[in-house]
Amino acid sequence: MTQVVVGQILNGIILGSLYGIIALGVTMTFGITGIVNFALGQFMMIGAYATWYFTDLAKFPFPVAVALAVLISAAAGLLADQALFRFTRNNLVNGLLVSIGLISVTESVALLLFTTTPKNMDTVIAGSWTLGAITLPRMKVVAFLLLAAVIGLTWLGLSRAWLGRATRAYAQNPEAAMLMGVPTKLLQTGVVVYSCAIAGFGGALYACLFSLEPTLGGLFILKGVESAILAGVGNLLGALAGGVILGVTESVGSLYLPSAFRDAYGLVFLVAILLFRPAGLFGGQK
Amino acid sequence: MKALWFLIPLYLLPLVVTSDTVLTVLIFTFLLSILAIGFNIVFGGAGQLTMFHAAAFGIGSYATFLSMLHFGLPFWLGFLVAVVVIVLVSIVIGWICFKFRLKEFYFAVVTMAFAELCRLIALNWTSVTNGTLGMLVLEKPTLWLPGSGIVKIEQTTPWYFLTLASLTVVLVFSALLMRSWIGRNFSAIRLNEDLAQTLGIDTFRYKLLAFTISNVIAAFAGALYGFYTGFIEPSYLSVTQSLDAIAMALLGGVSTILGPVVGALVLTSLPHLIELPAELRVAVYGIILILVILVMPRGIVGLAAGFFKRQTHAS
Repeated sequence: MTQVVVGQILNGIILGSLYGIIALGVTMTFGITGIVNFALGQFMMIGAYATWYFTDLAKFPFPVAVALAVLISAAAGLLADQALFRFTRNNLVNGLLVSIGLISVTESVALLLFTTTPKNMDTVIAGSWTLGAITLPRMKVVAFLLLAAVIGLTWLGLSRAWLGRATRAYAQNPEAAMLMGVPTKLLQTGVVVYSCAIAGFGGALYACLFSLEPTLGGLFILKGVESAILAGVGNLLGALAGGVILGVTESVGSLYLPSAFRDAYGLVFLVAILLFRPAGLFGGQK
Repeated sequence: MKALWFLIPLYLLPLVVTSDTVLTVLIFTFLLSILAIGFNIVFGGAGQLTMFHAAAFGIGSYATFLSMLHFGLPFWLGFLVAVVVIVLVSIVIGWICFKFRLKEFYFAVVTMAFAELCRLIALNWTSVTNGTLGMLVLEKPTLWLPGSGIVKIEQTTPWYFLTLASLTVVLVFSALLMRSWIGRNFSAIRLNEDLAQTLGIDTFRYKLLAFTISNVIAAFAGALYGFYTGFIEPSYLSVTQSLDAIAMALLGGVSTILGPVVGALVLTSLPHLIELPAELRVAVYGIILILVILVMPRGIVGLAAGFFKRQTHAS
């Protein structure tokens, strides 16, 4: 039994790191542009399908495919920002509605291009490691480490470098930051594009682990937003922790309680956190 | 109130138009308008971004049908049971949210979480709700009409009049509510909650009231919708359904009486006016939504009102 529990916890951690990468994007975008980009899940879907296309159909080596997928997501993000999100800065409701419109468009285009039939990518890294009685597929471990590394590096970049100081200054007081020479417009576009790029990276790793469907973005954005709130909006490292906690709650919850309510356990947990610790588990840092 | 005169031509429309397609699109417009009006009361009125209205919509249709099925009640009594259910649910959820002073984004997320919980219950309580398969509704609402006694609402034209009459009732109710002291208190909360509190408005109680009224209206839309389509399924409670209603209210113009109706009309009819495969229809819906939000952020009614005001000032 312990073996099953540990297995579920590990599964939850890996799934949670995928939630975490979306949560990081949500948190960053919200802090800088004042909107929640609900279409972020769609950029993950774009990244996932691009990876599948370049490895399975175009037969590129996997790292090249991932790089291309990230580039495509970033380009799509730039396009979306310049055409749409630029006009909804600091307007939560309009940003939400524009993202919904974008979701409808991208999802139906994906349905036309790829149909509803789930796509399965060829295995990239085969085999698994054994730790006592527990077996861990290598791909899952690699995916988790890569996602954690991206989140960690983002945090490091934002807390150490000039860029990070500028970003935090902007989040604290936009006008003052502007007066101090922070290129605010560039910063806002940069954050949107970066969050789309890492969502695409998450999608690339998702493609290696699970089967692809055009609707995958909708699920992940909900989990990502949940994770971001769970950890406290504005907390970058917390995004990973929030995702992992959510993933583990769901996996372990569905072990002991009816698994049909899998999505509910995280939600109940989220509501409880919001009620008793409104700033999130680790406290937000706006 | 003057705006409500536009309803009269709608009552006369079936004399001219006999096309079932047009009337059906209008019936869906009326039903979704009622849902959007419900949302508008709590968001456009009291400024709280709720995501629970689709759940109320779904609960309305499930509760009405189930109480008819199990207690043998007629439609309207069944709907009364649904109202009791939805009032209780709204009070519990509203109490939790407002007691803990959840606002804006957080209020939206928590109400969305509760809506998802309701959807999961509808999806997984198979013995009662028949799960993903949904339930076929063969019963139809009945109505007592002077002269012809009790009539079953079955054909398109009677449904057209029933939904239009329901919309009229809901519109008049919401217009009266918004003009009353209750509506003014809602507006005070929307514009500045702290100030409203200092002025002696019990913000907790009024937010709870707005949330409950809005959910009852959404449940009314849901009950009619389920019986019109003859089919009830868990997707009625989905986040997408909530977002659709929000889109309609915003498109038409929040905090206006007619906004939700205009928004519902545009978003329901436009994708049907253009001949397209189903997938592309969703894309067109998305494009309309994006364009309207970017081009007229105050909604169609807001834009038109601004235009007329400028015209009268000029002359």
